[in-house]
Amino acid sequence: MSELFRLENMHVAYGSNEVVRGVNLSLERGEFSALLGLNGSGKTTILHAACGFLPMRGTCICAGQNCAGLHEKKRALLMSFIPQVCSLEGGRTVFEVVMMGFNAHLRLLESPSAEQKELGMAALEKLNCAHLAHTDFGALSQGQRQIVILARCIVQDAPVMLLDEPDSALDFLNRHMVLGKIRDLIKNENRAGLITLHDPNFAMAYCDRLLLLQNGIVGAELDMRTASADEVKQKLSLIYGDIELLPYQESYLMTKAK
Amino acid sequence: MSLTAEKRGLKPLIFIGVTAAIFVAAVVSICVGKYQISPAEIINILSGKADVSDMSRKVFFTLRLPRTIMAVMAGTGLGIAGSVYQIIFKNPLASPDIIGVAGGANLGAAVAIVTISSSGMLGIATGAFWGGLLAVTCVMLLVKATGSTSTSTFVLAGIIINAVSKAVIMALKYFADPENELAAIEYWSMGTFGTTTQSKLLSILPMFLIGLIGILLLRRQIELMSLSDNESRALGVRLRPIRITVLLLSTLLVSSIISITGLISFAGLIAPHISRLMLKRNNSVTMVMSGLVGSFVVLVADIFARIAYSSELPISILTTVIGVPILVYFLVKRGKELV
Repeated sequence: MSELFRLENMHVAYGSNEVVRGVNLSLERGEFSALLGLNGSGKTTILHAACGFLPMRGTCICAGQNCAGLHEKKRALLMSFIPQVCSLEGGRTVFEVVMMGFNAHLRLLESPSAEQKELGMAALEKLNCAHLAHTDFGALSQGQRQIVILARCIVQDAPVMLLDEPDSALDFLNRHMVLGKIRDLIKNENRAGLITLHDPNFAMAYCDRLLLLQNGIVGAELDMRTASADEVKQKLSLIYGDIELLPYQESYLMTKAK
Repeated sequence: MSLTAEKRGLKPLIFIGVTAAIFVAAVVSICVGKYQISPAEIINILSGKADVSDMSRKVFFTLRLPRTIMAVMAGTGLGIAGSVYQIIFKNPLASPDIIGVAGGANLGAAVAIVTISSSGMLGIATGAFWGGLLAVTCVMLLVKATGSTSTSTFVLAGIIINAVSKAVIMALKYFADPENELAAIEYWSMGTFGTTTQSKLLSILPMFLIGLIGILLLRRQIELMSLSDNESRALGVRLRPIRITVLLLSTLLVSSIISITGLISFAGLIAPHISRLMLKRNNSVTMVMSGLVGSFVVLVADIFARIAYSSELPISILTTVIGVPILVYFLVKRGKELV
């Protein structure tokens, strides 16, 4: 396996308040990892800084390239990003929103080709949303919007995918559907994915590794493929306190101990 | 899979309707005024027939045609620029004034009136053009000095530059000769197409076209800028250079128009809204439609500016009077559809 994404000694501060204090992490090809942590632990900040939205100290290496000197367009070819909430209001069709994902692949004044339009429809079909293609984006529920934004991310076709709670507005079934699709995409196409999630159960069910954030650093790491039940319980309780862990199929279910 | 025009929000019937309305308004605009020209005479002049009075021919070529073309250009430019500003500032109240173009142009015109009034209308146009460009340059430099890239910084910098322009204009007005200069400054800020000439039109045409064509070519990037800054950057929009390019292009467009007409209020603000309400879309097609709507509103306003009163009225009174009912109509219509 080869490394696709690495953060070395990442520091991010809002003014004098340093939120991320030396994060190190790396992702292999075909690996889907979750960043877990409580509110305010810096999950989103790490993703934003890696995308270049926030100034950071340290190194971010993506597909062998140091991201520090890259402008937005070059960066967008290496990494795609899904925000918690899409900022777009209505006024566009779902299909137009998906086609925005091709921007990094197009020259400044170029329009998407017929072939790219087919790829855009294919991405919607993959997520069972083809019937929404000509609906106004503003008429969709938040959950449907997140699925459309995932289709846009598929179209962007970057080797590294950074996902900031892409499931936050999804219902139970769609959450499983979307996380499953993301995992398949990463496995089948040998990408690397880093996702922030609030529910450790979903993280345990879908991700290869869990990176547990505490005090601005990755305090502990869990490789779900090899970790023992005791190790999982011990490390998760570092963040979540008193928990119960039940083995279920090949993974675990976590609940708060009473 | 092919997309029909309808699905892309093109609605060909609406486009044909608005274009036809513009054509009719343009013909009326050529006909009406102190000296009337009949539609038959227009056909005769254009087909080169001899049985047209010299007077009609002269009025057609030196007054009405340049004036009508200028009204179409002004409406198109302000409508498209207004749409661009509302998209990239993500603010439905944004209009071309927001980053200081209008304030700067007004100041430039006022300075020209007070200092070089003897050089006449062309001097005022030049002053207004450079005033608008200079004000926007100041806004850009101010934004650069803050080191921020957010759109709200542009808006705040625009407010600052507008305020400074206003203060200087007030000072100029205070010291201006009330008979000639003060009146000229006031009239300029209300706008008119009455002073349009062929030579003025030709002198701003290159700037107008660069702005217009540039914006149309960059329409995909402009659409992407309707996303939050972070989201558009994640999709590979090179935000800083592209935003500055688009703002400069639209400034060129607006500045070239108002340097000749004076300030035209409201057209750039309402045309995008009317366009959105008509098409129920907010993309680059809406931007083009906004240009067409602006063109129609300004043409009709200019017609009434000539016929509403014994002497010619300032255009800004009429763009407001005509724009408001159209906007209200579409707002009410949308309200009923939502119920």
